[in-house]
Amino acid sequence: MAAYETQGFKVDNSGKRVVVDPVCRIEGHMRVEVNLDSNNVIRNAVSTGTMWRGLEVILKGRDPRDAWAFTERICGVCTGTHALTSVRAVEDALKIQIPENANTIRNLMQLNLYVHDHLVHFYHLHALDWVDVVSALKADPKATSTLAQSISNWPLSSPGYFRDIQNRLKKFVESGQLGPFMNGYWGNPAYKLPPEANLMAVAHYLEALDFQKEIVKVHTIFGGKNPHPNWLVGGVPCAINLEGVGAVGAVNMERLNLVKSIIDRCAEFVEQVYIPDLLAIGSFYKGWGYGGGLSSKNMLSYGDIPQKANDYTSGNLLLPRGAIINGKLDEIHPVDLKDPEQVQEFVAHSWYKYPDETKGLHPFDGVTEPNFELGPKTKGSKTRIEELDEGGKYSWIKAPRWRGHAMEVGCLPRMVLGYLQPKQYPEIHGLVEGALKKLDVPVTALFSTLGRTAARGLETAYCVKLQSQQFDKLMANLKAGDLNTANIEKWEPSTWPKEAMGAGFTEAPRGALGHWIRIKDTKIDNYQCVVPTTWNGGPRDHKGQIGAFEAALMDTPVAKADEPLEILRTLHSFDPCLACSTHVMSPDGQEMTTVKVR
Amino acid sequence: MLSQQDMLEAERHGKQVRSIYVYEAPVRLWHWLNALAMVVLAVTGYFIGTPLPTQPGEASANFLMGYIRFAHFAAAYIFAIGLAARIYWAFVGNHHARQIFMLPISNKHWWSEVFFELRWYLFLEKTPKKYVGHNPMAQLMMFFFFSVLAVGMVFTGFAIYSEGAGLGHWSDLAFGWVIPVLGGSMQVHNLHRLGMWIMMTFALVHIYAAIREDIMSRQSLISTMISGWRMFKD
Amino acid sequence: MTETFYEVLRRQGITRRSFLKFCSLTATSLGLGSAAAPRIAHALENKPRTPVLWLHGLECTCCSESFIRSAHPLTKDVVLSMLSLDYDDTLMAAAGHQAEAILDEVKKKYKGNYIVAVEGNPPLNEDGMFCIQGGRPFVEKLRETCADAKAIISWGACASYGCVQAAKPNPTRATPVHKVITDKPIINVPGCPPIAEVMTGVVTYMLTFDRIPELDRQGRPKMFYGQRIHDKCYRRGHFDAGQFAEAWDDEGSRKGYCLYKMGCKGPTTYNACSSMRWNGGVSWPVQSGHGCIGCSEEGFWDKGSFYDRVTDIKAFGVEANADTIGKAAAGTVGAAIAAHAAVTALARARQKAGETEEQKGEK
Repeated sequence: MAAYETQGFKVDNSGKRVVVDPVCRIEGHMRVEVNLDSNNVIRNAVSTGTMWRGLEVILKGRDPRDAWAFTERICGVCTGTHALTSVRAVEDALKIQIPENANTIRNLMQLNLYVHDHLVHFYHLHALDWVDVVSALKADPKATSTLAQSISNWPLSSPGYFRDIQNRLKKFVESGQLGPFMNGYWGNPAYKLPPEANLMAVAHYLEALDFQKEIVKVHTIFGGKNPHPNWLVGGVPCAINLEGVGAVGAVNMERLNLVKSIIDRCAEFVEQVYIPDLLAIGSFYKGWGYGGGLSSKNMLSYGDIPQKANDYTSGNLLLPRGAIINGKLDEIHPVDLKDPEQVQEFVAHSWYKYPDETKGLHPFDGVTEPNFELGPKTKGSKTRIEELDEGGKYSWIKAPRWRGHAMEVGCLPRMVLGYLQPKQYPEIHGLVEGALKKLDVPVTALFSTLGRTAARGLETAYCVKLQSQQFDKLMANLKAGDLNTANIEKWEPSTWPKEAMGAGFTEAPRGALGHWIRIKDTKIDNYQCVVPTTWNGGPRDHKGQIGAFEAALMDTPVAKADEPLEILRTLHSFDPCLACSTHVMSPDGQEMTTVKVR
Repeated sequence: MLSQQDMLEAERHGKQVRSIYVYEAPVRLWHWLNALAMVVLAVTGYFIGTPLPTQPGEASANFLMGYIRFAHFAAAYIFAIGLAARIYWAFVGNHHARQIFMLPISNKHWWSEVFFELRWYLFLEKTPKKYVGHNPMAQLMMFFFFSVLAVGMVFTGFAIYSEGAGLGHWSDLAFGWVIPVLGGSMQVHNLHRLGMWIMMTFALVHIYAAIREDIMSRQSLISTMISGWRMFKD
Repeated sequence: MTETFYEVLRRQGITRRSFLKFCSLTATSLGLGSAAAPRIAHALENKPRTPVLWLHGLECTCCSESFIRSAHPLTKDVVLSMLSLDYDDTLMAAAGHQAEAILDEVKKKYKGNYIVAVEGNPPLNEDGMFCIQGGRPFVEKLRETCADAKAIISWGACASYGCVQAAKPNPTRATPVHKVITDKPIINVPGCPPIAEVMTGVVTYMLTFDRIPELDRQGRPKMFYGQRIHDKCYRRGHFDAGQFAEAWDDEGSRKGYCLYKMGCKGPTTYNACSSMRWNGGVSWPVQSGHGCIGCSEEGFWDKGSFYDRVTDIKAFGVEANADTIGKAAAGTVGAAIAAHAAVTALARARQKAGETEEQKGEK
C-alpha cells in the first residue's frame, strides 16, 4: 500500500516492520505491527485484537435477566461495568425504574471499580514503562526518603523502610530468578527516572499490590465477591435492614461502616501516594510529548454516575457526556446511543462478515458473524502469521465510528470534557488545572501518552471524592426512611411486552461502553456490545481511517528498534482490554536476540 | 414365554379351580410398601424442589424442610432396599416374580400378544384375554416405566444424597460418579425431578388399568395384590 | 524476598549447627551415608524457587485479578518469595519476543520441574485462530509449554470446564485444558474466578509438600471443593426451617432468609465460598443477598436461569423445566385416562345392552 493521508497523519508502510505479539500487561490478547522510517520513527501502525469469544452469539435466546452475568465475563479487570451496562440495557428495554438506593449503590460500586482499576493499571500494568526496576538498586535510601517526604505525607517513607525494600530487591535480583521482571527493558535510554524515584516507585508498586485487595471490598459487601460481583435487573441484590430483626443478614450499620472506612482509605492512598507519584514521575517525562493520536481531534464519552436514579440525561451525570470532533474544543456534541446515525460499526478490516462492508451497522441491527481471512500481502501462513496485511482484514475487533469519525474514548476524553465545562464539573476543572500548573505545561500537553496517564490519576482523585459524596447521599436517603433496593414489578417475564429494545451505557474505566439489546418473547433476540477497546483498538475502516491506538503510535520515535518500550508505553496509556499475546520480530521476520538484564 | 405359560396356566386352571396363586407374600408386601414409599417420595420431593411458603418465627423453632427431607430420605431407603429385595425375589420367587424385570423380546408370540393388548386397549378387540401375571403390554410398561426408571431414580437419588452425606460416604463411593457422568449436580437434580413426574404419570396409568381390567376382563387384579390369588370370574 | 529453605529455617531461629545436624540425619535416614550431608545442605541452601509459567487463552483475566487479591499469603510474597512467576502476560515487564523467549528458556533450564498455570482455554475452531499469540494459535503454545511441565494448574471455570465462551453454541469450540493436554497431572481449580486464597492455597500446598493435592472425580482439590456451598451455608438453618426470601427486597431478604427460592445454586455447587468467603472473608454472594450462580460447576451457563430453582431442560429445541414437562405429561395422561374410561364405560354399556337383548332373544 502506498503512503496516504488520513485524519492528519501520513501513513507510510514502506519502512522496516516491527511486530510486537503478544503485547503484555494488558487484559486480553493483542498484537501490534509498526513500520519505522530510517530515523526509527513510527510511520505506520497496525493494531490487532487477537481473540474472539463470541459472547453475542452465545447470548441469543437467553433470559435477559441473566445477561449481566454473561457480559460481566467479558472482562475480569473492569469487572462489573459490563454487568451494570447490561442491567441498564434491560431496564431501558422493559422500562423498569430502580430505587434511589439501588442507583447510589451501583454508583458506589462503579466508582470503586474506577479507583481500583486505575490504581492497579498505574502501578502494575503501566509503571514499568516509566520505572526501571533494576536502576532502583543504585538508589540511596536516604535520598529516596528525602524525595518521598518532599512530595507527600505518606508515613511509609523512612530511610530504613526504603533500605529494606532495596535489600529485598537486591536479594531477588541476585537469585537470578527475576520472575515477572525477567527480560524487561532495563537500562533502555527511554527510562528517565533517577534511581531514587525508581526505588520509591518500586516500593509503591508493592504497597499498591497489598492495598488494591482492600479497595474491592466495597464490591464484596454489596455484590458478594470480587472479581465478578452480583447484580440484579431492577435494583441491587443486597437488601438493607438497619434495625429490624435479622439485620445482621443484610446491609446494616456495620457493613456501611466498613464501606466508609474503605472509602476513606482509598482517598488517603490516592491523595498521598498515587497522585504524588504521578506528578513526580510525570515531571521527569515532561519532554516526552508523544502519543496524542486522535485525542486532540476526536473524543467521545457516554458519561456515567447518575446523581438521581433513572435519569440518564447529561445534566444528571457526574462523569461528563459528549463528543468532540475535528479538534473543536468549544463545541460539545450531544450523544445518543439509539440514534442510528451516530454509533456504527464497520468490518471492512475486521474478521467479520457484513452483507455490505462499505456500510456501518448500528448496534441494534448489529451482526456478529466471524470470517477469518487474511489479506493477500500477509507474510507467513494462516496459522503462522509473520506480518499482517493491513490492506485486508486484520483484527478480531470491529471498527466503530461516531458519525463516521474514529474516536478516542477513556479517561482523557472524560477529563477534557469536564475541564471544558467548569460550571457543571468544577471539581474536574480544578483538578486538571491544578495538575497543569504543578507540571507547568499547557492544556495541549494533555493530548499525549503522558496526558492520558495523568488524566487517569486525576480522575481517580475525582472518583474518591465522588465515592464519599455518594456514600453521604446513601446515608441521607436511609435516614429519610427509604430502605428499598429493588423494584420487582416487572421481574416476572409474563409482565413484559412481546417485543422490546433498549440500550444501556456506562463509562467503563477504559471508556465509553454500550450494550444494545432486543428482547422477543421474553428471550434475547439480539445483543451487541461496543466496548471501549473496540473504539480505541479497532482497525481501519473502509475509508482507511485509522483507530485510536494506531493514531497514537504514529510519529513516535523509538530509542531501540528491538525494544518496544515506547510502543508499550503508549498502548498501555489507554489501558487496553483485550487479552495479551507477545512476540517482537525484526523487520525480516527473524526473532531478535534476548536482551539481558543488566 | 412367560405369558404363554400364563395362558396355558390360565386355560388349564381357569375353568377348573377358578383361582391361581400368583403373587407370593414378599411380592405383595413389597408392592404396597413400595406404593406407600412412592407417594411419600413424590409429595416430599415436590416440596423439596418447590418449597412451601415461608414459615413464621425463629429458625430454631422450625424444621419444616428438615422434616420433609427426612421423610424423603427415609422413604427413599425403603424404596431402594425394597427394590433390591424385590430384585432378589425375582431370582428366588416364582416365575411371576421375574416378569417385570425381563422382557421376552425374542419371542414372536409375546410380541403378538403385546399388539393384541394394544388393540384391546384401543377398543379394537372385543374380548379380553386372561393372564395369570401381567399381561404382555403391562409387562412392557412395567419394565420401562417402573423397573428401569426406579433403578435410575435410585442412582440419581443416592447420587444427590451423597452430596450432603459427603465424600467418602458409602453413597458417594457407590453413586457419586453419576453426577459428573450426567453433567453436574444441577442436571442430576432436574433429571431426578423429571423421573418423579414420569413415574407418577405411569402410576396413574397403572392404577387405572388395574381397576379397568378388574372390571372388564373379569379377573381379579387389585385383590390379587392383597391375597395373592388371581380369581377368574367366569 | 527469595528465601531458600535454609533461610526460612534461620529466620525461625534454627542455628546453622542444628541445620547441618538435620542434613546429616536426613542423609543417614535416606541411607546415603554421612558423605551426602553436605550435598543435601547445599541443595537446601540453594534450591531455586519453582518456576511458574502462567498462560492466558480465551479468558477475561478475572483469575489473575482474583489471584492478586490473596490476603494470606500476600500475593507479593507468593510472587517474590515462594515461586518464580517467570511468565505471565498480565504482569510481566517484557513483551513480544523478549516475553516468548522466556518460555523457551524455562522449558530448557527447568525441564520437568516447572508448573504451568493456565487461565482461559484454547479455542479449536478456525484452526485455533480465535486466539492468536505470536501469530500462532494459542493451542500450539499451550501444548509446547506443557510438554515438559511437572504439573498443570487449570485456573478457573475457563481452563477447567470451558466457562462462558464454551456456553452453547460454543462458537469458537473453546475446550478445557484437560481435553487438550492428556499426559500430565492436571489440577482443576474451578470458579469464575476461584477464591483468591484457594488459588494461593493450592499453589503453596504444592510447593510446601511437593505433591499434588488429593483430587476428586473431577480433578478438583478435595480440600476446597469437597463440599457444597449449601453444606456450610450460614443460612442453612433457615433452609431447614423452611424460611425463604420469596422476592427481591422482601421481608425474608431483609432478614437474611434462605435464597433457595430465588434460584440459589448453593445446593448444587462445590466450592469453599460459604466457609472461606471472599476478599479476606468480608462477604460472599449469599451473604450479600444474591443466590449462588454455581460458577464453579461444569457448564453452569447452560443449566437454566440463575433465578429458578427447578431450571429449564433444553430438549428438542423446546425449553421447559421438569415441573412444566411433568405437569403437562400428567395432565395429558390424566385426560387420556378419563376419556378412555368414558369410552370403556360406553362400550361396556353397549355390550351389556347387546347381551341383554341376546338373552331376551334366547328366551
